[in-house]
Amino acid sequence: MRKTLGFVAAALTVVLGLGGRAVAAEKPRLVIGAVYVGSVNDYGYNRSFHDALAQVARDLPGVKVLEAENVPESAEAERVMEGMIRQGATLLFPTSFGHQEPAFNVAKRHPKVFFEHAGGWMRGPNFGVYFGSTQTAWYPMGVAAGKMTRTKKLGFVIGMPIGFALGNVNAFQMGARSVNPEATTIVVVTGGWSDKAKEAAAANALLDQGVDVVAMHVDSPATIIQTVEARGGMSIGFQSVEANVLAPKGWITGLGFTWAPFFEDVAKDVMAGQFAPGATYRGLGKMVAVAPFGSSVPEDVRREVTAAVDKVKDGFNPFTGPVTDNEGKVQIPAGQSWGGDKMGNFSWYVEGVVGRVK
Amino acid sequence: MTTPLLVGILAGAILSGTSLLYAALGETIGERAGIVNLGLEGILLIGASVGFAVTAATGSAWWGLPAAAAAGAASNLLFGWLVVARRANQLASGLAMMFLGFGVSALVGARWVGAVIVGLPKWRPPLLGTLPWVKSSTLFHYDVLTWLALPVALLLWWVLFRTRWGLRVRAVGESPTATYAAGIDPSALQYQALAAGGALGGVAGAHLSLSLTLTWAEYMTAGRGFIAIALVIFSKWDPLRAVAGALLFGGAEALQLQLQARGVEISPFLLEMSPYVLTLVVLLAWGGSRRLAAPASLGRTFQGVQ
Amino acid sequence: MPEPALAAAVRRSPALRASARYLAVVLAALAVFAAVLLLAGKDPLRAYADTFRDTLADAYGFSELLVRMTPLLLAAVAVALPARLGLINVGGEGQLYMGAWLASAGALLFPRWPAWLLLPLVAMLGFAGGALWAAIPGVLRGLRLVNETIATLLLNYVAPLVVSYSIFGPWRSAESSAYPQSPAFADAARLPSFLDTRIHAGLLVSLAALLFYWLLLEKTRWGVQMRAIGGNPEAAQRLGIPVAVWIVVALAMGGGMAGLAGMGEVMGIHGRLRQGLSPGYGFTGFLIAWLAGGRAMGILLMAFLFAMITSAGDTLQITQGVPYAVVNILLAVILFIVLARRRGWAR
Repeated sequence: MRKTLGFVAAALTVVLGLGGRAVAAEKPRLVIGAVYVGSVNDYGYNRSFHDALAQVARDLPGVKVLEAENVPESAEAERVMEGMIRQGATLLFPTSFGHQEPAFNVAKRHPKVFFEHAGGWMRGPNFGVYFGSTQTAWYPMGVAAGKMTRTKKLGFVIGMPIGFALGNVNAFQMGARSVNPEATTIVVVTGGWSDKAKEAAAANALLDQGVDVVAMHVDSPATIIQTVEARGGMSIGFQSVEANVLAPKGWITGLGFTWAPFFEDVAKDVMAGQFAPGATYRGLGKMVAVAPFGSSVPEDVRREVTAAVDKVKDGFNPFTGPVTDNEGKVQIPAGQSWGGDKMGNFSWYVEGVVGRVK
Repeated sequence: MTTPLLVGILAGAILSGTSLLYAALGETIGERAGIVNLGLEGILLIGASVGFAVTAATGSAWWGLPAAAAAGAASNLLFGWLVVARRANQLASGLAMMFLGFGVSALVGARWVGAVIVGLPKWRPPLLGTLPWVKSSTLFHYDVLTWLALPVALLLWWVLFRTRWGLRVRAVGESPTATYAAGIDPSALQYQALAAGGALGGVAGAHLSLSLTLTWAEYMTAGRGFIAIALVIFSKWDPLRAVAGALLFGGAEALQLQLQARGVEISPFLLEMSPYVLTLVVLLAWGGSRRLAAPASLGRTFQGVQ
Repeated sequence: MPEPALAAAVRRSPALRASARYLAVVLAALAVFAAVLLLAGKDPLRAYADTFRDTLADAYGFSELLVRMTPLLLAAVAVALPARLGLINVGGEGQLYMGAWLASAGALLFPRWPAWLLLPLVAMLGFAGGALWAAIPGVLRGLRLVNETIATLLLNYVAPLVVSYSIFGPWRSAESSAYPQSPAFADAARLPSFLDTRIHAGLLVSLAALLFYWLLLEKTRWGVQMRAIGGNPEAAQRLGIPVAVWIVVALAMGGGMAGLAGMGEVMGIHGRLRQGLSPGYGFTGFLIAWLAGGRAMGILLMAFLFAMITSAGDTLQITQGVPYAVVNILLAVILFIVLARRRGWAR
């Protein structure tokens, strides 16, 4: 026993001594660090960032991308980002809402490193925020659902009742109502952005209650879409346009994020030393794209949805007063409208939505 | 309460309760032999990840399912080696298995996250499919595991209470020394019980990944292993009562989502507490008498004396 | 042949023997884990080297080690204290959340109190939150209704939901409903931090708690009595000792320790109540307490070791692409090795 112990100790000492020497590698022009709250293989939120960064690495020479998956939204994220900075990263993309404060703390310690946070609101000399304005983009999705539903009951599964999600639901319902005055949207909250078993059960619950079109705002639409497809329902996808492969029969359309152009602009500016972080919100056509239509969607529906998409691209804002919530209160008075900067402030559901925020 | 809501809750309870039942049945065999595995959660995760990985790699869930069972059995045998051969503290060993399950499942599953699989096929008997309120629901449209859940519970009851092997296993759980004195090797019986139990646990995990969600994600069992352990106590270590318990606890899980889909206005977070609180309340209400129903040598483990 | 001097010294001193045993276990576990990493196609030596460099050779890394140790020490005491009575407390997670919750309530209700009043209040509330949450299983066990292992385990899942309910509901921060969290706590409620790092006064609280634990168990009458009762509860009952009361008090005190950990995280690190406060501190605390055999010095050493191991998890993820969760395998292997040895070493 003592001999084994001695051997192991000696071996470890030698090996650690050797291993401690860093091996010099060829230096990239820019090291980007990306922090994901889940896995990049989710056909959803995380995948959209991963795909965009892969595109950046392809288009811009000398760019290296470090990625960390399944990083929780807590103090752990700070350690991960510090680790990336130590590996040479000078541009960090923390991608989940909950990574904001850890990222901001790290940003304060490293003024020469730039941060672009997805979905946040904190600002600093080296800290910027951005997001795709999905809320108005959900309006044409509601139009599609409203036209395709036979039961007039639509379903929306959301992870947590945060403002951006509520805004998505509201625009969806308003779009549906515009073509189908009796359409209602039932909301089910799973309590987490990525709880697969709950998502499957939520989809089943909605279908059990007569819903025939299901939309979602969770990190990965895969489980919900597959559950709905297996039961013959229709789905509208979110987060990544690639999800349509999961539902050959029931796919209507969907939304996905296209971050690559924005990421490339940022990367180029950082490399040229002229980057000034700001608050960038781009909507349909710029950071948000519409997925292809499913094979079962008839021509007239496609036309109507495309017309709605164009309307939004031209500046149509469904959140123009008067807008009443589902408890009868007027939330946006006549003459006012909520712009991109207020999309996180929703704390209510529009009329026609079945559900309670708290 | 209206029919669609009740049907929805029942349907959800059956879907949710399948993996709970298999997990509880697996744990029942082990506990009848006097061994409690707190790390059941880890066994479920190993079953889910191995089942998913093999299915994604081979293209068929018919390879994944037995692989999950084998992985579960192997894990439980590893646990068995600790508590039987090395006489380690069962509760601490169970937690070690839980950690092992967290890590191994993450390692096995990492490569396959996001893979799209064709899960276990579902089948519905033709006649039942014509009934109106059945057709649009998930009722009677099940995969092989859900169809076999009740038969397996019956089989387990019969094995434990009507066969000689079952009698010996129960004898070990009551008193290993008496069994030994009677000339039977308690260790061998415990290993056999754990292997069978582990296989059922692996299958329970596989149901989550191969049928319910068709995906793999770290920690996806979300505490089902612990609910299953409570379920074993609730059912007084009887496989048949475990069926009722699984429906009840599965129903609690499904209930909160069904209520939301119905528009009932309660906070989703309060609703989500219900399975755990229900478990506690049930244990508390019937707890006293259950203590006496436990296999005697199992009871010693819980009191820290071994 | 004369015995080497070192080996003789080790043989004679119990403290050195214990240290040698700890070291042997750790090295063996590292070897097994290295094998696991190799099987997964990764480079274990590089991983270990990176971890050592990131934690010990680097001021920030070392400060983060201490930050990590803070809740781990308390979580370990939360397990070790009731264990003296033979009770198994695996509810550290839930007790941590409830401590954070109750402390947050205090900070949100009295934001204008001065620090010398608010800080102690918040600390007491943190302790109380965890203590009450653990008292529930304590009462259930005391009344012989539900085994505390199961009860504490189940409550682990309820506590984070209480926190979520609060931050999505009554305590929802108005400044941005986009993200679920409470409003920021007043500076008077925040634990001061040191040296421009994230090390906060919670570390002092943890060390004080450990000291208290050691004093209680080794130097007071109660400590001796606890061990006696734990060894033979039936005899104690017959002697007229109110075992049920001891059970509730012991679990409550343990829970209170975990509650202090939650208070520390929320008042020292986050400054708000939010989700995801604990990456498994409760369970890791159980491991630490168990491996240390309930000994205070062992807890200190093991907490340090585990802080390093969890740090390795981060490094592994960034440099080797291994999911962080794999670090659980190392934890499991350590426990396996200890459990598999012949009994008589650690309880």
